[in-house]
Amino acid sequence: MISRRNFLSASALACGALATARIDPDFFFTSARAQSNRPITFLSAENITGNWDPTAHTTLSQTTIQGFVMGYLARAPMRPEDPGEMVMELATSIEQLDPHRLEIRLREDITFHDGKPFRAEDVKATFEYGSQPDRPAQWYPGSNETFEVTTPDDYTVIVDTSKGGYGAHLFIFLAAYLPIMSASDISGGPRGPLSQRLNGTGPFRFVEQRGNSTVMEAFPDYYKGHPTVEGVTFSFVGDATTRMLSLMNGQADIIERLEPEQFATLEGRDDIKLSRLVSVENKYLWFRCSKPPFDDWRVRRAACHAIDRTVIDEILGTAGEPSSNFISPIKFGYSDLANYPEYDPEECQRLLAEAGYPNGEGLPDLEYITSTGFYPKTRDYGEIITMLLREQGFPVTLNVMEVAAWNERLYDRPGGGPGHMIDCGWSTGSPEPDLVLRTHFHSSSKRICGIEDAEIDAALDRERNAATLEERRELLQTDLLPMLADKAPALSLFTSVMIHGMRAEMDGLFIYPDGLTDASKAVFST
Amino acid sequence: MFIMVFLAKRLAQGTLIVVLVAFVIFTLLRVVPGDPVRLMAGGMAPETLIEQIATEMGLRDPIPVQFGRYIASVAQGDLGQSFMRPASGAAVGGASFDDMTRSERARVLDLIAEAAPKTLQLALLAMVFALIVAVPIGVAGGLHPGRWPDRMALYLGSVFVSLPNFWLGIVLALLLSVKLGWLPAIGYRGFAYTVLPAIVLAVEMAPFIIRTLTVSVAQIMRQSFIDIARIRGLSRLQIIVRHALKNASVPLLNLLGVQFSMLLGGVLVVEFIFDYPGLGLLTINAVLQRDFPLIQGIAIVTSAAFVLINIAVDLATTAIDPRLEY
Repeated sequence: MISRRNFLSASALACGALATARIDPDFFFTSARAQSNRPITFLSAENITGNWDPTAHTTLSQTTIQGFVMGYLARAPMRPEDPGEMVMELATSIEQLDPHRLEIRLREDITFHDGKPFRAEDVKATFEYGSQPDRPAQWYPGSNETFEVTTPDDYTVIVDTSKGGYGAHLFIFLAAYLPIMSASDISGGPRGPLSQRLNGTGPFRFVEQRGNSTVMEAFPDYYKGHPTVEGVTFSFVGDATTRMLSLMNGQADIIERLEPEQFATLEGRDDIKLSRLVSVENKYLWFRCSKPPFDDWRVRRAACHAIDRTVIDEILGTAGEPSSNFISPIKFGYSDLANYPEYDPEECQRLLAEAGYPNGEGLPDLEYITSTGFYPKTRDYGEIITMLLREQGFPVTLNVMEVAAWNERLYDRPGGGPGHMIDCGWSTGSPEPDLVLRTHFHSSSKRICGIEDAEIDAALDRERNAATLEERRELLQTDLLPMLADKAPALSLFTSVMIHGMRAEMDGLFIYPDGLTDASKAVFST
Repeated sequence: MFIMVFLAKRLAQGTLIVVLVAFVIFTLLRVVPGDPVRLMAGGMAPETLIEQIATEMGLRDPIPVQFGRYIASVAQGDLGQSFMRPASGAAVGGASFDDMTRSERARVLDLIAEAAPKTLQLALLAMVFALIVAVPIGVAGGLHPGRWPDRMALYLGSVFVSLPNFWLGIVLALLLSVKLGWLPAIGYRGFAYTVLPAIVLAVEMAPFIIRTLTVSVAQIMRQSFIDIARIRGLSRLQIIVRHALKNASVPLLNLLGVQFSMLLGGVLVVEFIFDYPGLGLLTINAVLQRDFPLIQGIAIVTSAAFVLINIAVDLATTAIDPRLEY
């Protein structure tokens, strides 16, 4: 006979037995903080994609992970004093033989983490695979049909861009951005080992993805010597306060994307060090150029003249640097543009009247989309921009969205992307300016603004096809960039500042302006 | 036989509640902004491809048709696969549109099974902490109505209930973890990582337990059977433990049942602040990524847990007080 009491007793016993099996019995934790070679714990603000193929994404956090594991032909420190500096790594030299041919000579003492020796075939396979038109991360100046890669010997690579008609020098800055993959991995195709794990020649070897943590261990045969620390654990932690608390209590060794207030909080502490770098990322107000009213350059330019960027700079504080160009100051070809639109209400009104919207009359209701939770202060300066635009007669409504909803609306689509203006940054870890300019302003790509303008296309092609770097710099500074300032398909609001916080006992890290981190010489002082 | 009828009736009611919750969540997810296909396929995907994928996945069918298909799978024990997460369980963003190579997607049931024990552990510990603090204060308040223990119970409860959990979490982490170094605060690498979030949740729960106990003990102590117990020669301690507390435990059990259910499904803020990898953090990431199958799965599991806990509470209360019939 089952009674309520019997049933209850039996149920309680069963639940107890189940709970005993399920509840974590690890009642204690051990701190490894005292060890001088313990793994580095890196907390990231962004999640990863779930596909390890480096050509399958443009996600910054995953690019940072690649920076620990993969090898690069060269690295670009991109410091303001010498933005174009290149430091050779897998390559010993990169020389331009003539306008369309580049010779890359390689080191001979390197192996991949899976034991395969690094050779010219790997560079050839990487270039040919990564430039296929169907690869999601389109970084190359042209598809694999536009250039040819030959390998005269195991340690020499020749890139010939004659077929594409553009200069071979475009591969120089790219060399600092393209992780070199193993030819054997590439032979497995996009569904092969590339998508399952990272295999590179960098200082740390990919071990596993454990929940939100990517676990890497020191690669003993790293060509610059065995890294001092045991490894790197790279974890996604979405909340900025949580990341900061982790750094303060020593659970994290390094955290990224500090907010300006957090910078101020941590600045005076003896146990924390801060790194503040002008980044490769500019933040933009993108106009949807393929639909009214921003299909008229005068309306776009009028909107630019309505915005006082000095107010935005004040809001951002340590997290931003003033910008007068469409590319970061540490990109090749940067210069302060004389015709970059400044705050000028009279000019704004003149242009509005000329476009047929005196004092903004006749303009449709405009939606300005921004995000909250990833970039610093977007809501705050979004409200300022909205107010300034309204002052000049633009009937703007600000729509603040959490990241997923904003991301869903970000890119251009047939008939124009959602809304009329949208906030977004663009960061590419190379001095190469076309990773921003061609991606966004050429009618074959037009990622966010959707602009189709034959004059801009022609200017982009002219600078790409320049015979030498000097000629290209000249064309960027006197032709393309001033033209973009006039036509204003977007307004670059400021250059982001990459702020990292790290434990004071950690030394030897080198942080690149896109957030990639060289931890091969990192040490902990005990 | 009563127990079988009772169980059958309550489980049938519970199933209806779970299906209704599932339907509401299912519908809401499909009307809020944020197309999951665009998130899965990547922002650069052309509209035609988005529509093609959505059609293939059945996401453009009428909502009742989609729901019917979904609930049929659930009935077979299949909560589906996450839209976003690979089998490794990482919280991931979208890749690009023509990327068919992403790792195998994680099963929703596996993700929930991984996270739920940690939330269960957190909820149980929070409840233990809350009871340790609240029972003596609440009972003392009930035994001395109008006097200082009663006033202390009231003031303490008011203070606890006024503390926002996100603020308390940050302050306690700063104090106990950063300043004093007594406890770890962020993530989960062992039982110690549960203590700090459990304290925050306990502070949140304690006022309700204190108030319930104070009121119910005070009421019971005014009952005639308590006076009779004194006449029977029972000591004050015996009266309190064997009569007052036993009777006061019925409303307390009901309260704890509701609180525990809420903890299982709603520790979102606390798990997010402490980056505690339980159901709350899983839910937040799933919502931010529009991971429909995962959100639906969590909603079904937590509503089912709510139903089962309430059935267990009803059974327990009838065991304590046989006069109660359900």
